[in-house]
Amino acid sequence: MGEMAIRTEGLSKHYGSVHAIEHLDLEVAEGEVVGYLGPNGAGKTTTIRLLLGLIRPTAGRAEIFGLDCQRQVVEAHRRLAYVAGEASLWPSLTGAETLHLLGRVQGRVDDSYRDELIGRFDLDPSKKVRAYSKGNRQKLILVAALMTRPALLVLDEPTSGLDPLMEQAFRHCVHEARERGQTIFLSSHILSEVEALCDRVGILREGLLVEMGTLAEMRHLSALTVEATFEGPVPDLSRIAGVSSVEVVGHLVRCQVRGTIEPLLKVLATSGVRELLSREPSLEELFLAQYGASSEDPDTQAHAS
Amino acid sequence: MQAELAMGPPASEGRWATTVVARHTARKAVRSAVLWGYVFGAYLATQALAYASSYKTISERALIAKEFGTNAGISALVGPAHELQTVAGFTVWKCLAVLGVVGAVWGLLTGTRLLRGEEEAGRWELLLAGQTTRRAASAQALAGLGGGVAALWVVTAVITVLVGRSSKVDFSVSGALFLAVAVVAAAAMFLAVGALASQLAPTRRQASTCAGAVLGVSYALRMVADSGAGLDWLRWVSPLGWIEQLQPLTAPHPFALLPIAGLIAVLCWLTVRLAGERDLGGSTFPDRPGSVAHTRLCSGPLGLNIRLMRSTLVGWGVGIAAYGLILGLVAKSGGSALSSSASMKRALSRLGATGALAYLGVAFLMMAVILAIVSAGQISASRAEEAAGRLDHFLVRPVSRSSWLAGRLLVATVVLVMGGLLAGACTWLGAASQHTGVSFASVLDAGLNVVPPAVCILGIGALVFGAWPRASTVATYGVLVWSFLVELIGGVVGLNHWVLDTSLFHQMAAAPAVHPDWATGGVLVAIGAVTAVFGVTAFAHRDLRGE
Repeated sequence: MGEMAIRTEGLSKHYGSVHAIEHLDLEVAEGEVVGYLGPNGAGKTTTIRLLLGLIRPTAGRAEIFGLDCQRQVVEAHRRLAYVAGEASLWPSLTGAETLHLLGRVQGRVDDSYRDELIGRFDLDPSKKVRAYSKGNRQKLILVAALMTRPALLVLDEPTSGLDPLMEQAFRHCVHEARERGQTIFLSSHILSEVEALCDRVGILREGLLVEMGTLAEMRHLSALTVEATFEGPVPDLSRIAGVSSVEVVGHLVRCQVRGTIEPLLKVLATSGVRELLSREPSLEELFLAQYGASSEDPDTQAHAS
Repeated sequence: MQAELAMGPPASEGRWATTVVARHTARKAVRSAVLWGYVFGAYLATQALAYASSYKTISERALIAKEFGTNAGISALVGPAHELQTVAGFTVWKCLAVLGVVGAVWGLLTGTRLLRGEEEAGRWELLLAGQTTRRAASAQALAGLGGGVAALWVVTAVITVLVGRSSKVDFSVSGALFLAVAVVAAAAMFLAVGALASQLAPTRRQASTCAGAVLGVSYALRMVADSGAGLDWLRWVSPLGWIEQLQPLTAPHPFALLPIAGLIAVLCWLTVRLAGERDLGGSTFPDRPGSVAHTRLCSGPLGLNIRLMRSTLVGWGVGIAAYGLILGLVAKSGGSALSSSASMKRALSRLGATGALAYLGVAFLMMAVILAIVSAGQISASRAEEAAGRLDHFLVRPVSRSSWLAGRLLVATVVLVMGGLLAGACTWLGAASQHTGVSFASVLDAGLNVVPPAVCILGIGALVFGAWPRASTVATYGVLVWSFLVELIGGVVGLNHWVLDTSLFHQMAAAPAVHPDWATGGVLVAIGAVTAVFGVTAFAHRDLRGE
């Protein structure tokens, strides 16, 4: 570690009166896998386009491995690869020609790894891009990015259009990249993907970074979900310190607990509990809590994505 | 069409949805048709007014009629002349063939753009979303194109009628309306050709090439028919020949509208039929889904640029070569016709040239326009790469923006110089084959002489691309059309020299009639270079912008 793969200071981007990104301070250490979350229009893609130097910040600055994202673009880009969620490619080129072209432009390609990736993603490179489905085009730009084994992978919703099998293959590749010490910046709204892959997570809301930390840290700050099944009548739990969102279905109670669980346990211990289940909030629940969605009904939320 | 539309839901919302393709197509077709209607009208008006004011006496007009009316070389180029001693005859002769070809090119490009192009881009899928059948969608698109033809006719007709009311010109209203029909007939036919080609070929480019080939053959047949070689019947084989048979104003033959209408009907019927028999996004003759990798040019942005524009440039090259050859072939007879007209002689004596050189000097304006179109096409292609997001693939890799754009501009400049040399060389070939006696050096110089305006347009285009990307295509073609119209109209109407000076083509010497003015050419190139540098700098410091 040591050197920062990504560092932004007060990075802002305004489009007229719209503040797409507001005073963003972000640090991603070398070798880290960081998830970048937010709903559509929160500013995820704007952040990434600023990091890539495709658009210019209204204020603040961004660096990739200490290289300024606006002034040292070419040097910075030698060390990274980028995958967009929407792949617009040259329709008359074949897959193989596209990979050859993008590889030559990047300058260094691990040929055997490229062939391995083509096999893993089950891609037919002899077809013209025009004949590819959206998923296949996405696989093509994934291979084009991964095959260069960059120090930093910037991924903007990279698995859009991929089937679950390919999603697995993608996760495998990210794990490998992480083993090799590559840094990964993954913007996504597939929360299970982020949860499975990332060390740290940043949550963006209307252009502001509202949360940044490891999943463990975030969970610690968040509520615990407790489910208890009673043998007899259900006692009133809503007045216990730290307990909220109490929900009763027959003999089953579901509630959220913030802070220490001790007061609740005391009550439960004397109320004839048959079964007790507690779990940490999923990233999904953290995410939805952050966005002010009601956390009254975690079940429906779990199915929301 | 009603039966097919019945596929849609019966609700009023459904009816809205079932005409969505027609309205979408009509909106785009009408927009460009109105613009071209003004160009058609302006050209027509200029020709009529110019003739009326330059040739006032009967003897002058008789002389013109005698010279041009019997000249096979000129007949082959722009069609046979009838009643050149009248404003009507002269206007029809000057407009019908020229605007016919321009209209046909517009028609085939618009037809393929709005059918195959929109389908290729996936917009039909969005518009249709299962509301209608492929067949009905094509019928709707054809109806939309029909709206475009109507708009083209209305604008052309209004201007023609207005000009006809001038006492010097004096066209009857019905005659003017029929002239407008004749002028837009080629556009209508080739819109239908483009529509059919869009069913046959899988990409817009292939469809345009296919429709362009039909136009080429039609033009060649018409040329042979009008060359005085005793093959007049060939006129009935070429769609462009039918338009001549209409003979608006001089000896109107409305029955020649029958083959025209018949062809349009057959093409539309085939279009709808074939559309029903293929998949959305598919074509009657399908694309090869894959091929062996040709990686020679896939080495970087420049190589890719050359590879992608290769076929387009070959097409332009063939066009320039053919046009140059024809100009060379007819230069001798064209030149003698020019110099025998009294006022032309006066004008040409100012140029200090006579005969073939004078003819070529006037005709090379078109070469300059062709090169400028190639130049503007390069700017709009650059913008298209950015707007579609394909440029991102380079810019997120170690490629700087300035090297990307500068490289493209450099390649474009080389292409323009090659185009100029090709124009000169082919014109010389044609001229030499007729023992016209023009020197190779003078014609080659004339070829190079048309390059500076194109380079200037390239630079201006680069500046707009750098500073106001979304305006780049419109602005670049705008400069081109403005320069052309001012030069065309200005010489006739006697525009103020400040206005004339805004035309890039006006700055160009009429080589080979006179010596190329290399100093002014150098200034144009310098303006192009400076604006290009500003453009590249601005591009390096702005946000990338999508559509």
